[in-house]
Amino acid sequence: MSAHTENSNSRTIRIDPVTRIEGHAKVFVNLKEDGSLDNAGLVVNELRGFEKILVGMEANRMPHITARICGVCPTAHHIAASNALDHACGIVAPPAAMLLRELMYMGHIIHSHALSLFVLQGPDLVLGLDADPAIRNVVGIVQANPEVAKKALRIRTIGQRINEVVGGRGTHPVTSVAGGITFVLDSEKRGILQSLVDEGMVLARELAPVVKQLVMTMIEKHPAMFSDWVAPSWGVGTVLDNRISLIEGKIRAVDENGVVKAEFPVQDYDQYLVESVVDFSYMKRVSFRHEGVMHDYRVGPLARMNAMRQFNTEWANREMEEMFKLGGYPCHITLFQAYAKLVELIWAVERADDILRDPAINGETRVPVKFQGGRAVGHSEAPRGTLIHDYEIDEDGIVRAANLIVATQQNQAIINRSIEQAAVSHVLQRPDDQRLLNAVEFSIRCYDPCLSCATHAVGAMPLDITITRGGETVRTIRR
Amino acid sequence: MKVPHALVVCIGNELVADDAVGHAVYQQLRHAGLPEGTRLEYCGVGGIALLEFLDGQDRLMIVVDAVQFGDPPGTVTSRSWDQLPCPGAGCSISAHGIGLKDTIAIGQTLYPERMPHQTRLVGVEGCCFDALGDPMTPAVAAAIPAAVAIVISELNKLTATFSGELQ
Repeated sequence: MSAHTENSNSRTIRIDPVTRIEGHAKVFVNLKEDGSLDNAGLVVNELRGFEKILVGMEANRMPHITARICGVCPTAHHIAASNALDHACGIVAPPAAMLLRELMYMGHIIHSHALSLFVLQGPDLVLGLDADPAIRNVVGIVQANPEVAKKALRIRTIGQRINEVVGGRGTHPVTSVAGGITFVLDSEKRGILQSLVDEGMVLARELAPVVKQLVMTMIEKHPAMFSDWVAPSWGVGTVLDNRISLIEGKIRAVDENGVVKAEFPVQDYDQYLVESVVDFSYMKRVSFRHEGVMHDYRVGPLARMNAMRQFNTEWANREMEEMFKLGGYPCHITLFQAYAKLVELIWAVERADDILRDPAINGETRVPVKFQGGRAVGHSEAPRGTLIHDYEIDEDGIVRAANLIVATQQNQAIINRSIEQAAVSHVLQRPDDQRLLNAVEFSIRCYDPCLSCATHAVGAMPLDITITRGGETVRTIRR
Repeated sequence: MKVPHALVVCIGNELVADDAVGHAVYQQLRHAGLPEGTRLEYCGVGGIALLEFLDGQDRLMIVVDAVQFGDPPGTVTSRSWDQLPCPGAGCSISAHGIGLKDTIAIGQTLYPERMPHQTRLVGVEGCCFDALGDPMTPAVAAAIPAAVAIVISELNKLTATFSGELQ
């Protein structure tokens, strides 16, 4: 179904989606009169109403309730909320609790990165951008490579199981609370977790060379991806003891050359991260303010490694250095988001193994807490990037105000820049709709944006691309 | 007595307006006294996670979810998975958008031995999916008993067919 509206200056063709249930992504490509690129970007209709649901609720319910906001990254919310409450109560969770939270988180990272890398980006990596759309999809790659697909889905399941065994429930974790973790690890659970991690390690060793080969082949097939689809930007990640960290530590920002520009505790986030309303999207965009100047920045796997070039495990460090050797440091190649996910997937399996072998995991897991009233700010490094929870809690432990900053808001400017680059190399002067769709979708997929917090049986999200020239719509493509 | 195995998976974000309908149906089915041999699960999101529930024993999998097929809000429909529309042509731009059709196709390729004989989607037509903290719209909330009844009727049909086969 399409609707046409006209006015004296421009003509807009709007295509209403057949099914809007998954949300509705729109891409705009605006050309100047001479046909050169003016700008391009992604419009996201983000879920609204975090405040409505959280305000008036008991603060100690935040880790449970925020985990239900998003079905894709529940654990990131679960842990960010727990950290916020710990800070509000002025306590530090015991070492065993922090290790268990981290172990749960590593399961979440394995699960999320495996899904994103193999299921979402797999068709691009395996079949390239020019393959027939009839086979260039997740079903096509599964049919083309069933053995690799089985391993990829198995490692995803392993991550989910680790998350579930530590988090207490499959869909939404429940065990992390203000003050720590609600259980002590027993030998039965430890045995289950160790065998999952052992299997994950074997699979990671088998899958790593496959992914690296796919990235190399992609570069050979599409040299522009290596030379032109590069978006230098600031990067933000979390650092603890000069190592990349996911659930505790300070937030660090580096510039496009990798120079550290700021490092601060999450409580100070609003001095640096500035939210603004943009006219083309419901989602508030976030910029990094440094010495009075606003900078676009990237969060997520590549940004974390640009911000801190050191993991606390050996294999991940080797793989990261191999990646930087190929792509340079700091790395701004959009395609390398996929490579960076592989490095973090390896790290998550290695780190989970180290945690299980750490004797400190056997200690007390919970300390008593009391809300004194005031702000509660906490964060986690969600698979897609830095996630911040900020609540105002009164003396009775009730949430009075809430603000959440999610990865996609922070990545939006860089996603748009990547779309512009894809448009320049694949659209301008080349009236090939299929190539355009493939290239634009590829750039968006590298960031795996959060598009809606509700996902469904009847997928996938439709994508519209509208191309205007001199303000007039010349083409609308829909998939 | 031998009974047919069946799996019911309810999907949806209980915090998001009409998306909560899958969770509401799940809550009612928990107390509905389902036929013996039926497993009931809840899943916050659809997609690949569905494959984890399958054990190769099921004759039937029923997925319950909010949908937008263009019917009036509150309409409850039951369709076989191969009748589902495929708006994304099997390509998604986010891990948030991998649907039942692709999931079943992946499952059939990789784990044919785990797949149910039949898959059905019981869909409740919704109209509001982007407002966290809003209640279900009245027409959708009113459709919950009908959705529960359709799930139970599908399960009873399975039991009847199965006993017919045995005789």
